[in-house]
Amino acid sequence: MILDVERLEVRYGRLPAVRDISINVAAGEIVCVVGPNGAGKSTTMLAIAGELTPSRGRLLFEGGPLAGRSSEDTARLGISLVPEGRRIFGTLTVEENLRVASYIRRDRDAAAKDLESLLDRFPILKERFRSPAGRLSGGEQQILAIARGMLTRPKLMLVDEPSLGLAPKNVDLVYELLRSLREAGMTLLIVEQNLDRVMDVADRVYVMRDGRVQLSGTVVALKGSAELEAAYFGFDRGAA
Amino acid sequence: MITLLQNFIDAVSLGSLYALTALGVGLLFGVLRLINFAHANFITIGAYAIIVPSTNAIATLYIGAWHWAVMSTAVVVIVVALAVVTEFIVFRPLRRADPPTLLVASFALAYALQYITLLIYDGRPKAVDIGSNLAEQVMVGELRIPKLEILTIAVTLALIVSLALFLKRTRYGIQIRAAAEDFRMARLLGVRANTVIAVAFALSGVLAAAVSLLFLARTGMLAPRMGLPLVLIAFVATVIGGMGSLVGAAVGGFVVGFASVVLQVVLPVEIRQFRDAFVYLLVIAILLWRPAGLIQVRAITERV
Amino acid sequence: MAGASPLERIWPVIALWALLLVIVALAELFGGGILNRVVTDALVKVVVVVGLYIFVGNSGVMSFGSISFMAIGAYASVWQTCCPKLKPINMSGLPDFLRYNTFDLFPSAVSSVVFATILAAIIGFPIMRLSGIAASIATFAVLAIVNVVYGNWDRVTLGTNSVVGIPRYVDMWVALGCAAITIAAAYAYQCSRSGRSLRAARQDEVAAKAVGVNVPRERLIAWTISAAFIGLGGVLYAHNIGVITINNFYLDMTFITLAMLVIGGMKSLAGAVIGVVALATLQELLRQVELGFVVGGLSIKSPPGVQEVVIGIVMLLILVLRPGGLTGGREFSWPSPKRRPRS
Repeated sequence: MILDVERLEVRYGRLPAVRDISINVAAGEIVCVVGPNGAGKSTTMLAIAGELTPSRGRLLFEGGPLAGRSSEDTARLGISLVPEGRRIFGTLTVEENLRVASYIRRDRDAAAKDLESLLDRFPILKERFRSPAGRLSGGEQQILAIARGMLTRPKLMLVDEPSLGLAPKNVDLVYELLRSLREAGMTLLIVEQNLDRVMDVADRVYVMRDGRVQLSGTVVALKGSAELEAAYFGFDRGAA
Repeated sequence: MITLLQNFIDAVSLGSLYALTALGVGLLFGVLRLINFAHANFITIGAYAIIVPSTNAIATLYIGAWHWAVMSTAVVVIVVALAVVTEFIVFRPLRRADPPTLLVASFALAYALQYITLLIYDGRPKAVDIGSNLAEQVMVGELRIPKLEILTIAVTLALIVSLALFLKRTRYGIQIRAAAEDFRMARLLGVRANTVIAVAFALSGVLAAAVSLLFLARTGMLAPRMGLPLVLIAFVATVIGGMGSLVGAAVGGFVVGFASVVLQVVLPVEIRQFRDAFVYLLVIAILLWRPAGLIQVRAITERV
Repeated sequence: MAGASPLERIWPVIALWALLLVIVALAELFGGGILNRVVTDALVKVVVVVGLYIFVGNSGVMSFGSISFMAIGAYASVWQTCCPKLKPINMSGLPDFLRYNTFDLFPSAVSSVVFATILAAIIGFPIMRLSGIAASIATFAVLAIVNVVYGNWDRVTLGTNSVVGIPRYVDMWVALGCAAITIAAAYAYQCSRSGRSLRAARQDEVAAKAVGVNVPRERLIAWTISAAFIGLGGVLYAHNIGVITINNFYLDMTFITLAMLVIGGMKSLAGAVIGVVALATLQELLRQVELGFVVGGLSIKSPPGVQEVVIGIVMLLILVLRPGGLTGGREFSWPSPKRRPRS
């Protein structure tokens, strides 16, 4: 397993946002965490990325502990978070947004090559290379955010709510991109509210509610099952 | 016409000093949301650095007696070191503090540094003679321009251009700008907070050192609070420029410089001594008109 | 606090009154003239710092301009009560009714406070509409404006020269009375609707706005009340020391009063009072060291300026190690274990 989350608990002050979460991701997999608003999905992501400190539980990355590491360090270890709301640097140009991400790499030539191939794949980024990223459309910004995350050359990419606030056309574009990443051998942990989208790309899913994992399994096994819907909507807790 | 041009040059040169100070203050505000009162001490200590430390009433030049290039470099090194050390000792432990706490901390730091300066050098103002040849005037047609004003404007221009290039072209520059916009996101991409902040402090130290020397050459007088009026003006300049925007800080500096010179000229003699009060009133007026400042930036909220 | 008894409700005020009363009584019983002076000075600072707390503590916005109202109050009272012989000559810019008349002390104090309050309301109106940090800087502009105006208006204020011969009627008991009133007023404000709204907005401005709190208006109310008591502090200061200059009311006073508030804990009334007591004690100790003392035949004396450096460093240490100040933002609560203190 590249990532092991064991019995994680995260609190905001006294309020637990994540109560007891265990998740694992194997290299080369796409794992999705689904669940309604407030289930603790984003909090889990932020804890893995080193933005939040867990109050209990273990976080292991490639077998080594992550707890206590800052977000700067987890980025260097090879974890890249594409956060909710994209958070591109609006006053920086597209180029500068991408450069910021490549600074942690030692292999400058390879980084330059990666940048080239990214720009070839996304002509829009090439077109707007020198204009402020804040002027891109929402879908373009999401693509920039993912491209930026990829340029750190992560071993594991965390993608938080990639479809949030995007027009359906752009959501297609973004998921196409995520799928292609998987074909290129990238390991992904995606958080999403949109159940249908997830079932198209993921290998495995975890369903979260109220800070706990309600159900988990492979997409093949869960697709279309009543159990899945029940866990997601919380009709019947016994089903989990 | 000649007097108008003369006044214009005065305004540009005064505005230059304000703009340099405002940029030093604005840089740290952008990255850290810190309003750094101690910037005044950076300027003051940079100026005092050129004399032999003593409480004697007569100042003896030490660094100030060296060749101007060596002297300037030495002052820059000293102020940069001071800036980086204060960051390390005072502001690093406060990395998670909110902006009001940082504000008070920098106020406390400024207070302590001011009295340390006073302990070492004594509180009485001391006359020093640096760059007296800069008082000479250059004649351009009928226009008489003191060399110091030309030097001030040239140095300011050079520093603003270099700063802009640094922020646009270099790795640390781009990281500083990214961090100023969204520090947490920058860190998620592996940007080192400590490095970026130390570099920002060092840059503000360079700017403060330049102001030290230019201002000292202008007044010829050392005093433990000499940096303070400049920094107060710079605060005001960053606010009217739009907090968090470096372009705004520079523009604000020049606006205040121009306002001061214009007021000096147009105010009747009997109320001229209240000029600075009018400058500050102008600030409040500008804020009433545009509460977010002249150059507006996106919401200033999150930090490290 | 619905079910609390009246005594329990005003306990935080009673406790602070008792604390100050004990200090004054001890000074009266055991102290000499010097200790009396020190305690009186500290009580005047209580008025100022609690006044400052009314705005800063409730709104969370730092004010660097409030000490201006100390100057405004002090000078207003001086114009009315001081120097009947000298005034017509060296304060020629005063309006005639002030220049040629001397007024009673008490009405003068009241009118001076009213004057400071009205000016504060006018000045605060634009400033309180700004966001926190911008408002802080704007309050600085206020300090600078007042300093420039009073420092240069020679025919009215004597510029930066001292005004001497101010009648000295403020003794320890007058100062104690005023401190007690200020503490009660500050507590009444923080329990009022406006005070509670402002404290809610300090926690979460967006949420407070969403439930209909008019933040600029509540800030203006706090600012104005705060300035009234700081103005009172200025009046007391002038009539305690007997000599003033505008530079008494500039950055050093701003720093010391803010330091007292921060060291005590700026989020509670108890913090404001404790901060004054703690810092005034420290200042006095350092002043003794500066004067020199003898330990085992060895005379120890620190150069002037050490006091300020130490206070600056103490304040930094508090900010780093105990950001909530000595009280941690708590009030003195009713001595019963079951009730948790509210912050």
